[in-house]
Amino acid sequence: MKIIEKDQKVKITLTVNGEKHEVEVEPRRLLVHVLRELGYTSVHIGCDTSNCGACTVIMNGRSVKSCTVLAVEANGAEILTVEGLSKDGKLHPIQEAFWDNHALQCGYCTPGMIMQAYWLLKENPSPSEEEIREGISGNLCRCTGYQNIVKAIKDASLRLNQKEYPRQL
Amino acid sequence: MYPPKIGYVIPDTLEEAMEFLENHEDARPLAGGHSLIPALKLRIIRPSYLVEIRRFKELNYVKKEGNTYKIGALTTHYDIIKANIPLLSETATTIGDPQVRNMGTIGGSISHLDPAADYPAALIAMDAKVVIKSRKSERIEDFKNFAKDMFTPDLNVGELVTEIKLPDFSNYKFSYQKLERRAGDFAIVGVAVLLKLNGDVVEDVRIGLTAVNNVAVRAKGAEEELLGKRLSDELIEKASTRSMESANPTSDLRGSAEYKKKMVKVMTKRAILNALKR
Repeated sequence: MKIIEKDQKVKITLTVNGEKHEVEVEPRRLLVHVLRELGYTSVHIGCDTSNCGACTVIMNGRSVKSCTVLAVEANGAEILTVEGLSKDGKLHPIQEAFWDNHALQCGYCTPGMIMQAYWLLKENPSPSEEEIREGISGNLCRCTGYQNIVKAIKDASLRLNQKEYPRQL
Repeated sequence: MYPPKIGYVIPDTLEEAMEFLENHEDARPLAGGHSLIPALKLRIIRPSYLVEIRRFKELNYVKKEGNTYKIGALTTHYDIIKANIPLLSETATTIGDPQVRNMGTIGGSISHLDPAADYPAALIAMDAKVVIKSRKSERIEDFKNFAKDMFTPDLNVGELVTEIKLPDFSNYKFSYQKLERRAGDFAIVGVAVLLKLNGDVVEDVRIGLTAVNNVAVRAKGAEEELLGKRLSDELIEKASTRSMESANPTSDLRGSAEYKKKMVKVMTKRAILNALKR
């Protein structure tokens, strides 16, 4: 059994986008803060109350709101952020679809939205509009009215299911 | 927002976790953390230590033995949805949002016992039992008795919920209907219905209400109205009206008491009609 006192720090390992990081954290540190300090600033702090989804990342294969996960809890986890999606300078099909469909205005919600779309399409490669809307119900966007986001995710699903886009999920 | 300064314990075994919790009255077990971490941020609670139990795989399972579903306390809402348990899985689909359901656990939810949580409506309708363990003892309580009052589960120092047991209701028609202000919110009113029909005669009916009392209750008046009778629009209307007898809501940001009470009727009717479509 390991006991970490409240003023002590503990060493944790995180693998973010395939890169291994060792950091020392207080038990109360949130995963979102640690990720941002490591330079993964696509992970946004929006509401900080697990409502808005701007801090969504993929942790061990499931989408989570990193403002409601303690860093120490994530010790040993594999994490994927938007920074890890593009390969060799080429955007991921979901990113391309967001671009082509004008699925953002201010862009604040976009990294969380894209990570949630990533998870949604992994779970359900051909979602209906209703399934897309339900799938991103934990991500708030105040600019777009969601129309183009929904369109982009539908478009991304088509791109990912086509042969010319090598399936990266 | 940061949680307050807090100690953290990573036990190697469940036994160790229970021992630590027994010796530290103000420590809290950390499962999915989706009620606990927000409460820490808001300084609603100030535990001395968090005891990490999320990783104990031995409490993460859904098994069906004979006519009983056994659900490990650390099973996430996501995994419960995937398990296709009559009524309970449908109820789980309405909890929070997908990210919350990926982390939150059933044991954590019922140990927190928010009066507006979704599971209790289903659990009370299904006569669920809760397995509670400490280092030295094990007991099984009816969910009805386990849920003593809002945020007050029947748990002593050093005890953990380890399993939820449910009978199989696959020969019932069922539905959970939740009224919410916006996607992902807690229920304004939540109604779970289980209906067993013989032709169009109601052989058994169970109706659970959440968010309209300190703890979830059965809508006994509505059940009584339906039981043994032939279903008709008139009967459903009558039963739905009587469901309001079992609701004693309070006014809050989700609506006035009067509104919520009326919505109990609407949602009960919706749940019955939805169950019948199945």
